[in-house]
Amino acid sequence: MPIDKNEKQRLQEKARQHRTDIVNVTEWAGGAHIGGAMSMADILTILYYKFLRIDPARPDWDERDRMILSKGHGGVGLAAVLGRRGYFDMALLRNFNKFKSPFGMHLDCRKVAGVDASTGSLGHGMSMAVGLALGARLQRKSWITYCIVGDGECNEGSIWEAAMSASHFKLTNLITIVDRNSLMIDGRTEDVMALEPFADKWRAFGFLVKEIDGHDFDELNDAISDAREKRQAPVVIIAKTVKGKGVDYMENEVKWHYGSMNSELAQQARRSIEKMHSA
Amino acid sequence: MEIVRRPHARNLVRFAAHKPEVLVLSADLTSSCEADDFRAAYPERFFSVGMAEQNMLSLAGGLAREGMLPHVHTFAVFICRRAFDQVAMSVAYPNLRVRLVGFLPGLTTPGGVTHQAIDDVALMRVLPNMTILECGDATEVESALDVAHGVPGPVYLRMLRGEVPRLFSSSDPMVLGQMRLVSRGADLLVVSSGVCTEEAMRAVLALRRKGVSAAHLHVSTLKPLSGDGLCDFASEARLGVITMENHSVVGGLGSAVAEALAERGVGKRLVRLGVQDQYAHGASKSYLLAKYGLDARALIGAAERLCEAPLDIADGELLGVDKGPADEQSKAEAL
Ligand SMILES: Cc1ncc(C[n+]2csc(CCOP(=O)(O)OP(=O)(O)O)c2C)c(N)n1
Repeated sequence: MPIDKNEKQRLQEKARQHRTDIVNVTEWAGGAHIGGAMSMADILTILYYKFLRIDPARPDWDERDRMILSKGHGGVGLAAVLGRRGYFDMALLRNFNKFKSPFGMHLDCRKVAGVDASTGSLGHGMSMAVGLALGARLQRKSWITYCIVGDGECNEGSIWEAAMSASHFKLTNLITIVDRNSLMIDGRTEDVMALEPFADKWRAFGFLVKEIDGHDFDELNDAISDAREKRQAPVVIIAKTVKGKGVDYMENEVKWHYGSMNSELAQQARRSIEKMHSA
Repeated sequence: MEIVRRPHARNLVRFAAHKPEVLVLSADLTSSCEADDFRAAYPERFFSVGMAEQNMLSLAGGLAREGMLPHVHTFAVFICRRAFDQVAMSVAYPNLRVRLVGFLPGLTTPGGVTHQAIDDVALMRVLPNMTILECGDATEVESALDVAHGVPGPVYLRMLRGEVPRLFSSSDPMVLGQMRLVSRGADLLVVSSGVCTEEAMRAVLALRRKGVSAAHLHVSTLKPLSGDGLCDFASEARLGVITMENHSVVGGLGSAVAEALAERGVGKRLVRLGVQDQYAHGASKSYLLAKYGLDARALIGAAERLCEAPLDIADGELLGVDKGPADEQSKAEAL
């Protein structure tokens, strides 16, 4: 079902808050993987505020949808949204990646409620998601497994092993979303190790491919609703995004893969986010 | 103490200057592994292979077979854990001259458990044909590539990056198979490697002031370990031997020393400092070294155990080597 104007506004407001939270946590922590957290901010927003069947009061609820952040360095983004959804007290994020804090730059599923797998060694998460989805089918469970993969992460052979097995096992209860921000650490994905023709690769691996604008809630909504409803093959949503989205001086800047902000830069970032979301 | 900025970056360029066969392979961590100066200096010899470490290791094996000298750069953890089978079968078994340059070993990474190579020495040690070098200071970083160059088979280098202290004079470079005698003493033998050596130096000084004298050996060739030399010192150590490493106590320096002592019948007590068969938290280096018992304070504790007496050494007495700004602990390092 398409989203109406009110729903869209609600999501946009959540995304604004989410981006601001990411900036705040990065400022408090003295540094974080902010670029890739910003590019997937709208994806996390629509998942956590619309699609995921979860109950933050019962993080281990058996019937919950699973969500694996395969690009585990986006932990700052995941932590921010989990906190806002009430998995834990947001105030804990003041100590993100500091001593004795349960939050490291890659989230630990043994320490942080709502995290389904400890990721950060890239290329593992999608295989784990395949295992979860297969496990759901074996137990005749109806929940869905979502997995967010980085485009640079798709350099790893294991991603394609996971893809092969997802279609081999016909896992129609698995929805993979690639954060296609076209940047990694060393530079542009196409310069570091070319991925294109990217969509064709996924198709050849047996996936239903949807290419969308990963910052457009209508397109995100249609693609995810469709993937949930029509279950014929594993689905991959290639979400075209902008690394650093929302902060003018970070957008498409490779150096903001990991960055630290003093209070002035953080202030500027918050203003930029306000401006984007009020436009 | 002199602090050297990015010694590997500069040294790699110098080392490769007149060796056209030297190639650098990088898996999307080029600046993080200080290969960026090389990329700028010799772009035609630099290969970005993408974030695909398994492919990178076997590909390096192929290049080495064709007479090139690939220097693989990534975090230690991704060489050893991610690509272990590739290292074993494409590099070690055919005994190829591939240099595996592993960064942020042990607890020196800010990345937490996924990035902590606390098992890399154990994994590399078990591979036949593999030589293992570990840098303990800037002088060793500046000489490690030359040392590796002389080795006819594969070499794994536990490398240091960023701001690296100089503990040993630059006229006293790393030598293959040679331990460094950092200090002499009759009560204890301390054997350390990597970043633990700086910690050990502080503790040994403080011990001496309390009347406990320790011989201190720094090991940079972890495999093959020069067991004979080591045991000469161990036999002389009245109270026992302490090993100290930025690694699990299983399979690394501590294990190698235990084997050497036992095989030569040196019946000394042995305390192994290192990560005690557990996964560690993520935090800053200095915090982790303290928490997991790899710092000067932990060495004092081990000495007290062997002396069977408290030594009453206050924290202030452990500051022989300066520790950098006090707020180091609260600022996150970039990956
Ligand atoms: C196996 C592995 N190799 C290397 C790294 C280091 N690393 C962290 S993030 C990253 C680049 C990620 O690029 P991408 O997946 O595109 O993430 P995004 O741009 O969305 O942040 C690399 C190489 C890692 N975490 N894991």
